[in-house]
Amino acid sequence: MTVFGIVTIALQLVIVVGLAPVLTGLMRQIRARMEGRAGAGIGQPWRDLRKLLRKESIRPRGTTEVFRVAPLVLVATCLVVAAAAPYVSTASALNPIADLFAVVAVLTLGTVAIALAGIDTGTAFGGMGASRETTIVALVEPTMLVAIFALSVPVGSTNLGAIVTAGLNDPAGVFSPVSLLAAVALAVVIVAETGRLPVDNPSTHLELTMMHEAMVLEYAGPDLAVIELASSMRLVVFLGLLGNLFVPWGIATSGAPLALFVGCVAFVVKVAVLGGVLAAGEVFLAKLRLFRVPELLAGSFVLGLLAVAASFVLS
Amino acid sequence: MNAGASAQVLNIAAGAFLFTAVLILWRRELASIIDIFALQGVALAVMVAVIAVDEGSVELFVVAVGVLVVRSGVLPWLLRRALSHAGATRRETRPLVNVVASLLAAAALTLLAYAVSQPLVALDPSPAAHAIPVGMAVVLIGFFVLVTRRLALSQLVGFLLMDNGITAVGFLSTAGVSLIVELGVTLDVLLMVLVLQVLKTRIREAFGDTDLGELRGLHD
Amino acid sequence: MNVVAAGLLIAVLAALGSASAGLLLPQPLRAGVVGSGIAVLGTAAVFAGIAAIAGQTMVLSLPAVLPLSGLMLQVDPLGGLFMAVSGGVAVAVGVYGIGYAGHGLGARSFQSVLPLFVLSMVLVPTAANVGTLLLCWELMALTSLILMLADHGRRSTVASAGRWYAVMTQLGMVAILIGLVLFAAQATDTSFAALRAAGPTLSPLIAGLVFVATGIGFGSKAGTLPLHAWLPRAHPEAPSSVSALMSAAMVNLGVYGIVRVGFDLLGGGEGWWWILVLILGAVSAIYGILQAAIGTDLKLLLGFSTMENMGLVLVGIGAAGMFDVAGDSTLAGLAMTAALLHVVNHAAFKTLLFQSAGSVVAATGQRDLDDLGGLRAGMPGTTAAFGLGALAASALPPGAAFVSEWLLLQALIHGLPAAGTSAAIVLPLAVAAVALTAGLAVVTFVKAFGVGFLARPRTPEAAAATESPTSMQVGMGIAGAACIGLSLLPTIVLPAIGGIAGGVVHGGAAGDGIPGGNPVAVNDLTIELNAVAGSLSPLLLGVALLLALVAALAALRALAGRRVARRARLWDCGAGPMSARMEYTATSFAEPLQRVFDDVIAAEQDVDVTHYEESHYLVRTIEYRRRTPDPVESRLYAPVLAVLAGWGRASRSLANGSVHRYLGYGFGTLCAFLIALVVIR
Repeated sequence: MTVFGIVTIALQLVIVVGLAPVLTGLMRQIRARMEGRAGAGIGQPWRDLRKLLRKESIRPRGTTEVFRVAPLVLVATCLVVAAAAPYVSTASALNPIADLFAVVAVLTLGTVAIALAGIDTGTAFGGMGASRETTIVALVEPTMLVAIFALSVPVGSTNLGAIVTAGLNDPAGVFSPVSLLAAVALAVVIVAETGRLPVDNPSTHLELTMMHEAMVLEYAGPDLAVIELASSMRLVVFLGLLGNLFVPWGIATSGAPLALFVGCVAFVVKVAVLGGVLAAGEVFLAKLRLFRVPELLAGSFVLGLLAVAASFVLS
Repeated sequence: MNAGASAQVLNIAAGAFLFTAVLILWRRELASIIDIFALQGVALAVMVAVIAVDEGSVELFVVAVGVLVVRSGVLPWLLRRALSHAGATRRETRPLVNVVASLLAAAALTLLAYAVSQPLVALDPSPAAHAIPVGMAVVLIGFFVLVTRRLALSQLVGFLLMDNGITAVGFLSTAGVSLIVELGVTLDVLLMVLVLQVLKTRIREAFGDTDLGELRGLHD
Repeated sequence: MNVVAAGLLIAVLAALGSASAGLLLPQPLRAGVVGSGIAVLGTAAVFAGIAAIAGQTMVLSLPAVLPLSGLMLQVDPLGGLFMAVSGGVAVAVGVYGIGYAGHGLGARSFQSVLPLFVLSMVLVPTAANVGTLLLCWELMALTSLILMLADHGRRSTVASAGRWYAVMTQLGMVAILIGLVLFAAQATDTSFAALRAAGPTLSPLIAGLVFVATGIGFGSKAGTLPLHAWLPRAHPEAPSSVSALMSAAMVNLGVYGIVRVGFDLLGGGEGWWWILVLILGAVSAIYGILQAAIGTDLKLLLGFSTMENMGLVLVGIGAAGMFDVAGDSTLAGLAMTAALLHVVNHAAFKTLLFQSAGSVVAATGQRDLDDLGGLRAGMPGTTAAFGLGALAASALPPGAAFVSEWLLLQALIHGLPAAGTSAAIVLPLAVAAVALTAGLAVVTFVKAFGVGFLARPRTPEAAAATESPTSMQVGMGIAGAACIGLSLLPTIVLPAIGGIAGGVVHGGAAGDGIPGGNPVAVNDLTIELNAVAGSLSPLLLGVALLLALVAALAALRALAGRRVARRARLWDCGAGPMSARMEYTATSFAEPLQRVFDDVIAAEQDVDVTHYEESHYLVRTIEYRRRTPDPVESRLYAPVLAVLAGWGRASRSLANGSVHRYLGYGFGTLCAFLIALVVIR
């Protein structure tokens, strides 16, 4: 493990943890402005977290350890991915786990923990949220892996560092049909995985329409703060992956301070731009009916498969 | 334009060509289907133009412009006009095969197209020939639309998709259908659309709707 | 005498000893002695298997024991692996069975047959000629049938499940017999050595017939679609210790048979065989896990999950065969390694899952998830065991199945450039199938663990559940330890499994050899693939997750304002305390998925709403029923059964009850036979 690698891990953790609530704030602000509202300001999620942390911790009766540990598992999975994936530099010190399949599976583990916590409460809402969330996870998985397949065929590896480095070495490859189709497929999947419109509405508080919110309904105080933070981190982690897989420019390949600085700035800019686009897009979208979601996912699955087909048809 | 860049543009155009065909399966709204069809015409025109530049053929370039005008201008315009006369049915609400299954079928058809056109690609390893499976896939998807959609207008789009696919395969495989042949084909297609439109208007006047599933009622 | 021979000898002696103990000892002692005997048997088999993997061999030929060709045993690394897996499962199940026998399984018939069943599973991979294989196979089929029927006095469904199992397993046996006899007819004698020599010289037609016939037999044992019909019936109805043995050890032997015949004896064969295997495997995997995801019976769900896992193994084997035929031995070895590792992993976690399910059924008498829930309070050990098994089974890190599915995906992804047109179409779809399977497995096990063990009890039986006896917990502990070991340190077993896989695919016709003879390498606890790029460190992943968890906990402790958590009521919309009936059930949990896949599952559901007499707007009760008949069964089996029943009815007119008539049939047949003989001569 080199010094460069450790610096990378530290930088990535700091940026992801520090900026995740800011990104959420930014997206809410963009949305608010586009809808003609003033908005609460970019720093509001951090203020919310501070408020929640000071509150009393409340545990519903009849819940088990699963309920207690789930928020921590969720945030731990985000931390592992934030540390391992190539966000600021390509030299991840955790290279043996910076594999696309592993990263996807680790993030799924977080979803599963929260789904189990939802069931553990024994309320109808918790079970309903868990049921819907896991159904979507199951349907997302094929799309995700086929898109990964498309990305890894030209590179010959599923290692994130290798894919990003290959993208850096072949800038024109970014505009090939393979990566464009895979990008669209992955974008749809990421929208579904992070619970954004049109799959789930992150700001709803009507129980019957919620998925993520229904599962975490029983959490309060510091536990809720952890979950809110983890949800924001998840978004950063996914958007960062999307950004660096398809637009790898700017990422540091050496340990020079300047390169690292550029890497940090590039990462922040990419995530902010993607988040902004997502927020702007959400203004024009309504939530899909749950049973229309498979159509969306099937569409993105086809795009993923076309990307794979294109990778050997048009090569 | 150097060879690498032209191959790149050709690839992207081919990707867009296929992508629009899938989108047509995906969407239900007839108006947006027609818009997507127009986009596909643009992608086809770009493909032809790239081949024209590669070959250095002015004649082909003229054909590309013709393709652009007819397939992303005239035909969509005709379709939109038909749509505006169509009355209440502006959505393909209940296709014979549901959307998820259609999309998966499109994936399967694409793979099939890839498999069957493998010998053609092997004949000539140029970038244009590599895109032949895309054209073939669009032909199959168009046929699929023709088979599974209920409304006459969406079936018409299916037919036109097939025609786009056939044209693409023609240009990609021979790199140069003569101007006269292309003109003839285009006129044929235009004539076909007009005839079908007239027919459709008559059907609607007679039965009030253009759900072709109901034509079976005539048999009994 | 080397370790292999000593181990096998001890295994046979332990089996015979505990079988006679089961027959002779009085009831109180019986279960303890038999259970320990099975544990000894299993341990001996594990040691013998490991020694065989390490390179020791043993050849035993007793021509006098069996007619025709005699009894021949030979152990090679591939057989050793399957022997060790069966033995390992037997150790856990043996210990578990001591306590489990208290639940009505102390009978002589059960306790004396159990060791023989285990022995037969240990011996099948050692068979070295056709006769021995068939003998061991038949012993396995018969003993498992007897064990499966142990509960027939208590539930009427057992007998029907037993009939299905008996018929299908015997038909499978016949298919294997036909295939191997056809094969042996082309060779000098029936020993595997002779078959191996004759294999590559067979005409493609004969080789294909042999492969398909044996594939039908072995595939039905592995629960491959469409020959899976026995599996969802037998696994839930058998006692849980037997389910564990059948599901974790017996089905593996179907896979063993396909590998032995296809790769070893026939020497690789043709591409279409393996594409067929791959497609059937993928379809079975999806179908099995889909049924598991919507099922609510805990043991049925586990049975379907077995079908899924064997399907995944077959995907790996099919891919290995495809690559082998295409001449890429390294990738073939990689796919084979993934398949074999998955066999080992599946054995570990399925033993654990069936054992904990057995404990639940023993403690509550309920198998339906809709009647369970809240077991965490009464059965903490069992809950932890099931949770561990569920994590291992659902392909999530740090779980065992994650490692093997990662290897499988690596093999499939890297196969694309190497393979031809058919592979280019099959491989992306296979990746999608594996991914869908992984996703649905997550649903299945979240449902099974969440609804079954967490939340609040839905019935008084579930509320009154108490922890199972120590021996059962020890049995689960053994399986659980194996799961944890395989999850975090697969690097210990992988080189050995890679070596076996390398040896198996080397038999391919165009095999150009794997660099170092092993498709995987282990470097600093990291799995690295040979010849293709890819590495993964399960241990590092597990440690990283744990560190992140601890860091998050520490940060939360440091930052949170008030430390003590207050207990509070659940949010009930202000409508008074919630009852357990308001919880989500397994049926409702699976409902969205059932709707999404309605075209495949074709569930039958009906909703009965009864109203109050006073007003149509006031609902008194709503009753919802869902039945998911097996569509494959109703479309494929029903017509065949109908035809057979038609024949039966037609032949009834031949049998009118008159003894003279029956004797007349015999006389007539004899005369006809003699006449035919005369004419032909």
